Amino acid sequence: MVSLESLGAVAVSTGLVALLDAVTPITGLGVIYLLAVLFLAIRRGELAALGTALLSVLTLNFFFIEPRHTLTISDSENIVALGVFLIAAIVVGRLATVSRQRSAEAEDRARLAVAREREARVLAAAASSLLDGAGIDTQLDNIERSVGSERPGPIRVELTHAPAPGTDELAVRLPISGRPGWLYLSRELSWSKEDQRRLAEALARLIDVALERERLDARAAEAEATRRAEVVKTAVLHAISHDLRSPLTAITTAAGGLRDEDLLARDRAELVAVITDEASRLARLIDDLLDLSRIEAGAVEPRPDWCDVRDAVVGAAAQARAACGDHRIDFALPDELPFVRADPVQLERVFANLIENAVKFSPPNLPVRVTGSAGGGRVTVRVINRGSGVPRSQRRRIFEPFVRGREPGQGSGLGLAICRGFVEANGGRIALQAETDQTAFAVSFPIVRQPTPA
Amino acid sequence: MSDGPQVLVVDDEAQIVRGLKVILRQEGYEVKAAETKAEALDAVSVHPPDAMVLDLVLPAGSGVDVCKEVRSWSQLPIIVLSALGDEREKVKALDAGADDYVTKPFGTDELLARLRAVLRRAGDADTEPILTIGELELDLADHSVTRRGEPVHLTPLEFDLLRVLAQNRGRLITHAQLLREVWGPAYQTETHYLRVHMTHIRAKIEVDPSHPRYLITEPGVGYRLRDES
Repeated sequence: MVSLESLGAVAVSTGLVALLDAVTPITGLGVIYLLAVLFLAIRRGELAALGTALLSVLTLNFFFIEPRHTLTISDSENIVALGVFLIAAIVVGRLATVSRQRSAEAEDRARLAVAREREARVLAAAASSLLDGAGIDTQLDNIERSVGSERPGPIRVELTHAPAPGTDELAVRLPISGRPGWLYLSRELSWSKEDQRRLAEALARLIDVALERERLDARAAEAEATRRAEVVKTAVLHAISHDLRSPLTAITTAAGGLRDEDLLARDRAELVAVITDEASRLARLIDDLLDLSRIEAGAVEPRPDWCDVRDAVVGAAAQARAACGDHRIDFALPDELPFVRADPVQLERVFANLIENAVKFSPPNLPVRVTGSAGGGRVTVRVINRGSGVPRSQRRRIFEPFVRGREPGQGSGLGLAICRGFVEANGGRIALQAETDQTAFAVSFPIVRQPTPA
Repeated sequence: MSDGPQVLVVDDEAQIVRGLKVILRQEGYEVKAAETKAEALDAVSVHPPDAMVLDLVLPAGSGVDVCKEVRSWSQLPIIVLSALGDEREKVKALDAGADDYVTKPFGTDELLARLRAVLRRAGDADTEPILTIGELELDLADHSVTRRGEPVHLTPLEFDLLRVLAQNRGRLITHAQLLREVWGPAYQTETHYLRVHMTHIRAKIEVDPSHPRYLITEPGVGYRLRDES
């Protein structure tokens, strides 16, 4: 209750009173002891102030109240004065203590506000990264990037069993359900224990949400894959029962007709043409079904090589001409297009399908156009026809298997699904660009570092 | 029996053999058939034919193995039959010594044209100093090319590439074969060298490079200088 500090303060007060007493002896000099009480009240609180007040009364009595150097008091006036002093000292002590507590509380509140604001900033950054991240790993990367710039030190999150903090880092366990994780805070940040716990809990809840979302996404993707596999299976059965049977019937019929030895040469040629045409239709359909099942099974296995898209387009045009006759095809391909990395056979197949499609849907007098360009880090080839266009209702599903164009009976409905499968397996993108007077299919591949020329 | 060139057809599909026999005989070839690898090798060693048409998929053994074994002691021209999308197998067969391929189901005209090309190649040693392909003329001694009598200016590399293709006209030459011939064995995998130069050659020798008449790309396999024109 009486500390060294209060002894010192009382001694200093005593010296001061003694000094003034020698110069101008005034009865009220005892007030100076109130300074000591006030000092202790501010520094040490109410109890210390009370002790100092009592000590002050004793000292005042001993040194300055007649008879001096005793603790007896002769004058009853002095008793009253001492009593008033004691009461005043206690009140001063109390007031000072209250004001000290207030300011301490205000300081605490300010500090807490700063800590909460910091916590909120980190969490907001983390939450927004979680929302736009693709998988949990990218999301964690994003969190790091967004909160990593937190001053004065970075924050890291890791989903590992054992903590591996850096030299001036603090590891805090993240209470994520079902997965261990750690939060690393730079020691420079001086987060309080309570703040660390709060941040860890909030981050853990966010990561829980992200993990859950990832689980749901995976389940949805699986369901989508199953649905598509179902669609394909049904369609394949349909194709086998109908699309394969009709060319076979045509072939059988024509072959039966050829048995007649009295056929005119013209009729014979007609029947032979039926057989060859239908046989190649059959072959084409089987190839398409095989490709589609490979694509759906994720078994495309491209063999990437350096490809000149012009070469692929020229080869594709030749294939298309062989398959559907000499329609005019205009090319607008710059002389120097960067090479792309893709499987050359699959690339040519894609363009052949697109050109054949374009020819099929073009009015006979309007040419199909094939344009090429490089820009935005990609090489893009557009196959453009000026036919009647893709009905709005079909645009979204145009790349799904067995979605056929405007007129039924035009092809198997597999061409565009195969195009998309091959393009995507080779790291490219394919898109329908429908405009009022033309329909374009745009195939693009990223421009990669080019090989050294010969 | 005709006295035409003898062709051995190796395929285990009886119906395909049946059809090929009729078509080839009609064209004046004498046809023999084998169903397995062992039968094929026997037939070739006992009475070597002038050419072989070989299915890549055989019961108990691959057509590629037949190519390899036959090549170890014979230069007999070989055309392989393969399915679409089997570029790997095609390249394997060509590198094992096959001369060309047709993709099943094939048109008879296509098969007959390939057969003519490989037989002609086997017949003449291509020692003539001037090769004529359609409207193109290559003077090997002079290292010059003309189209319809007009000079075509090719770089030495371009000329070498065109020369290799012209000396094998009608035949498919794989990327590896071309790179080996023109650049050397160390460059067999640098296929992008070919893409640049072939584009340039096409721009110089074709009337319409986007509708090539001579220089045909076989994607994923190689190039061919088309002879029929």
